[in-house]
Amino acid sequence: MSILINKNTKILVQGITGNIGTTQTKYMLKEGAKIVAGVTPGKGGQKVEDVPVFDTVEEAVNYFKIDVSVLFVPARVAKDSVLEAIDAGIKIVVLITEHIPVHDVMEMKAYALQKKAILIGPTTPGIITPGECKIGILPTNMFCPGPVGIISRSGTLAYEVAANLCAIGIGQSTAIGMGADRVAGTNLIDILKLFNEDQETKVVVIVGEVGGTQEEDAAEYIKEKISKPVVAYIAGASVPPGKRMGHAGAIIEGGKGSAKSKIQALTAAGTKVANRLYEIPSLVKELIS
Amino acid sequence: MRLHEYEAEEIFSKYGINIPLGGLAKIPREAKQIAESIGVPVVLKSQVLVGGRGKAGGVKIVGSLDEVDIVADKMLKTEIKGYRPEGLLVLKKVNINKEIYLGITIDRTLGIPIIMISSEGGINIEEVNRKNPEKIFKFPVNPLQNLYPYQVIDIVKKVGLSGGPLVETVNIIVKLYKIFKEYDGLIAEINPLVLTEEKKVLCVDAVLELDDSALFRHPELNKRRLDAMSERDKRLMKKGATFVKLKGNIGLICSGAGLAMSTMDMIKDYPQLSPANFLETGGGITSDLMVDCMELVLEQSELKAIFLNLYGGINPIHEGVKGVAKVICERKLNIPIVAKALGNRQEETWKTLEEVGVHIIKDTETQKAIEYLAKLLGVEK
Repeated sequence: MSILINKNTKILVQGITGNIGTTQTKYMLKEGAKIVAGVTPGKGGQKVEDVPVFDTVEEAVNYFKIDVSVLFVPARVAKDSVLEAIDAGIKIVVLITEHIPVHDVMEMKAYALQKKAILIGPTTPGIITPGECKIGILPTNMFCPGPVGIISRSGTLAYEVAANLCAIGIGQSTAIGMGADRVAGTNLIDILKLFNEDQETKVVVIVGEVGGTQEEDAAEYIKEKISKPVVAYIAGASVPPGKRMGHAGAIIEGGKGSAKSKIQALTAAGTKVANRLYEIPSLVKELIS
Repeated sequence: MRLHEYEAEEIFSKYGINIPLGGLAKIPREAKQIAESIGVPVVLKSQVLVGGRGKAGGVKIVGSLDEVDIVADKMLKTEIKGYRPEGLLVLKKVNINKEIYLGITIDRTLGIPIIMISSEGGINIEEVNRKNPEKIFKFPVNPLQNLYPYQVIDIVKKVGLSGGPLVETVNIIVKLYKIFKEYDGLIAEINPLVLTEEKKVLCVDAVLELDDSALFRHPELNKRRLDAMSERDKRLMKKGATFVKLKGNIGLICSGAGLAMSTMDMIKDYPQLSPANFLETGGGITSDLMVDCMELVLEQSELKAIFLNLYGGINPIHEGVKGVAKVICERKLNIPIVAKALGNRQEETWKTLEEVGVHIIKDTETQKAIEYLAKLLGVEK
């Protein structure tokens, strides 16, 4: 078991003919990911690594059953591509692209919600179920199969946490990057819920960072709904706060957002909080044994 | 991208939101000319891109025409929180009957725009939020729809407006939301929105912050931002790298923001060490980008060492470190450089760095690399 993806997951790559799309398609295939088709408008009929390329997602879903679409498209067309995937009936969309306008992300998120699709990202490294399937850009050699679910707002920190767990023999059921943008398609709570229901996952690790109120919201949810042990870490305790203009941001966050506020909320919810990154493996080990 | 108040007011005015009479003065004489044409009393406002300007002496009311250029001269020379004003906004003082707070921003968790309004306008709005949050009324907007006037009548009534001012304020909210959306705003704020004794509704202070990722849709503003940047900053931005100068002695290059923050936290555990900068490469590493990154880090004085923390996921780090090696050779660097670089093609990466004398940490824990660095420098926790 795992969440969202496994060895049978059929994958579409949008933006497959671009530089990054092609390189990452190679890496994913090497790890056994079942990429059945690619899409780049205007490049229909071509092949990338033997994967057939279509002009539209609609054409691709007419030929293949597709569970997940992963996107390596330029930021300025990302909204169009995400809406296209959702309209074609794809239920999990993984958006790797960085620097997408936040107003576009808000529209995509609202649209996904309306169509009951899951949007992971933007600026996500993707999802990996070690030993079975990887979707996105995560370097596979950092991960190994096992009982820990990882949810990370940062991509690179997810790699490091997984590698450090593997170093003491603890693997991962699934690791997932939320994306560190101002607005994420899917929030921490949504993924926590999935890990809580997954039988293979014994412990969940949350890798958060300063800014926003997702960790505080998750803390409340953990207290009420999560039965599994949770370890959390917040990056950026020593980062100086940015210069703020206007009051709207402060009002909406209402004093939340700092490392201190997040750590307090998570501790109060019964989560084991690691003050430094390197404390995570020992905390997880304690909870597993 | 933060806009100056005068720039935000220009945009607000273009969308039909009324602002007091006045204009921007770059020199004292211009301030006086504006005051002469609109009549005293006037309000002089320093154009700086920091919050808390009013409390820091950046806003002055002048009642006599003879004093305008004297006060203006002084204000133009006065830095606010370390920033020199770009000019002074000279505005006709209005007769305030009621001050209202009006702001639009994004709720990051829900991922939707939120309109906020309160009868407690003015500079203490954040305190109101702490003590009496029930006095701030909010309306969440569906990102897939337009905002219609009828939707916000209720929250405007709640701040105590009725009749003409009610309708006028509702229309201002709709216009402000249109600006927020069309300009890709992160924050659009009017504080205060003033109901004058003559029953007019005026925007007396305008804040507009835009999403940098969306500036490709606003070529004029983007050009202005680019004009103010160095060639190297432009290259970094194009590749998605972020650099923030700090006061410390360890130069830092990391391939992700979370990783960079986490590394900074660990460096700071050593009282004698602290990061000289925050540098996140983003996902667009190339050899040339790393040359820029290294040069940027090396510009800082008092560097004791450089630490590289890189992951090869989307980033071809084996290519990137060629740029690092190039700078090390060309500059004949003699401070220690420690690197932890893992992921796709890590062996090639290590080889390139080892050949130019970089200390390679092959352990997966950043902490181990920092411990090694501290030992090299002879410092303890």
